[in-house]
Amino acid sequence: MDDHVITVLNNIGGFSFIALSAYLLLLSGEISFGQQAFYGIGAYASGMMTAMFGLSFWLALPLAMIVSGLAAAAVGGLTLRLRGLYFAIATLAFAETVRLILVATTWQVEVDGEPVGPNGSEGLGNIRWGFDNEYEPVDFLWMIYGTLGIVLLLFFLMERSRLGSIIRTIGADRLLAETQGIAVTRYKILVAGLAGALAAIGGAFYAHIQTTVYPENFDVMLGVHSLAYGLIGGLGTAVGPILGVLLDVGFLEAVEWIQGYRMIVFGGLVAVLLIFMPRGILDERRIHRLRTALRGRRQARTHGAAGA
Amino acid sequence: MLEVVNLSKHFGGVRAVDELDFRVEAGEIFGLIGPNGSGKSTTVNLIAGIFSPTGGTIVFDGEDITEAPPHVTLHAGIARTFQNIRLFNNMTVWENLWVAQNSAEQKRTGNPLARWMGGSRRAAAAVEEYLDFSNLAHKRDELAGNLAFGEQRRLEVARALAAQPKFLLLDEPAAGMNLEEVKELDERLRVLRDRGVTILLVEHVMELVMEVTDRIAVLNFGRKIAEGTPSEVQQNQAVKDAYLGAGEGGADA
Repeated sequence: MDDHVITVLNNIGGFSFIALSAYLLLLSGEISFGQQAFYGIGAYASGMMTAMFGLSFWLALPLAMIVSGLAAAAVGGLTLRLRGLYFAIATLAFAETVRLILVATTWQVEVDGEPVGPNGSEGLGNIRWGFDNEYEPVDFLWMIYGTLGIVLLLFFLMERSRLGSIIRTIGADRLLAETQGIAVTRYKILVAGLAGALAAIGGAFYAHIQTTVYPENFDVMLGVHSLAYGLIGGLGTAVGPILGVLLDVGFLEAVEWIQGYRMIVFGGLVAVLLIFMPRGILDERRIHRLRTALRGRRQARTHGAAGA
Repeated sequence: MLEVVNLSKHFGGVRAVDELDFRVEAGEIFGLIGPNGSGKSTTVNLIAGIFSPTGGTIVFDGEDITEAPPHVTLHAGIARTFQNIRLFNNMTVWENLWVAQNSAEQKRTGNPLARWMGGSRRAAAAVEEYLDFSNLAHKRDELAGNLAFGEQRRLEVARALAAQPKFLLLDEPAAGMNLEEVKELDERLRVLRDRGVTILLVEHVMELVMEVTDRIAVLNFGRKIAEGTPSEVQQNQAVKDAYLGAGEGGADA
């Protein structure tokens, strides 16, 4: 594989985590414009742990997820009473606050005679864990897709579980969910925390591939994109948001002649889809039809086998 | 079983429910009727915990549930249906029942998350029972939003039952049903009562209310104007005036 393909694939994988993060919140009925903050927290927290304190990436990753997840749960708890647009505004404000705090923060320690650590708008550099351990981009490719595979598997299990149906019921009709005996506020905080931890995975990989991250990497455009991925790809299955990333990063970014018009095409795509497929390409109804069709075939096969 | 004392709910200057008292005994079907806007649905929402009352108390099974939120009243044993059908339209019939049934399951096991979908045989078996009871077994894999109107109403009742309530709040379950469907509903309600479920029935369809209820309270402008057996209520002059005066439902009553 040539380097460009690997870079594109790594980007697709990395963005998939933040897309799934926004998707999880969309399932529970919340539109967040702030998931980039948790992507950023994941990137900074994991980067600082490996670069400043010499932790292994594999230890820094879960720790960064915990830091980010707790921050997200706290934000979720504070914004519980906000609905719809107000929730969206609050998440956006939080994310911008995080970005500005990163711009204002300088904290460096000396590692091998060099100052390492967040340095305001100069960003956090020298995240050399991959370099020091002789990891090539293709190694990161395996790491990213391995992790993504595990996350997707967990998503599939969750969507077939009681937790999954609870999240969907809250998203579909909060009041009805409550009358079904679901303690909605508790699950809202849980979902916010899980979504924060998910976004942090993408951020951690991003930081260790780029080796330098800047506060400006985590601006509102990243949040808008991560939301759009689920809305384009569809809210019927966890594959939906990944399809959204594929369409954006894989297709629009990779095809050269679109380059200059990428944002225009992307914005148009979002607008058209929101009108004609408000819950995305792979929405609940299409997924249901697909499942019914698959089940029908399976049943036909078993019956055929029984007959023979 | 359910005791409503001096219950009031004011929306601004409107007294939707005004110093309402009534008592539902265990094992009966209790009717709540009245002209449109007389406060029936508000009363249901107060009992279910969707609204918080302006004044008064609601006691269920010896437990004060006046300020309890909906998920608490459900776990206390009160399930409800909605006047305007309210289902999870993007979920299948089976899933709608499964979600509701699992609330009861959760209460029993104390574990909210350990139940994988279809994993608990008891939960799945119970869902089958409610599917059969509501005559929806052949529609199990259909999305709730695709059902016909009458089927959606049946699913609403089945879902309320799936929570295994002691007390059922039915908010106009017969609205929009034809006579045959009303008869079926009548039979189902009697079966439920025989199984020991207490029912509060809010209804405009007098064929159903007068047939199936044991006692009835009549509301007008948020106040109770009469209470008694169906025949007592039918003879009551205040009730006749309320319905004729309101200009609606008079022919039914």
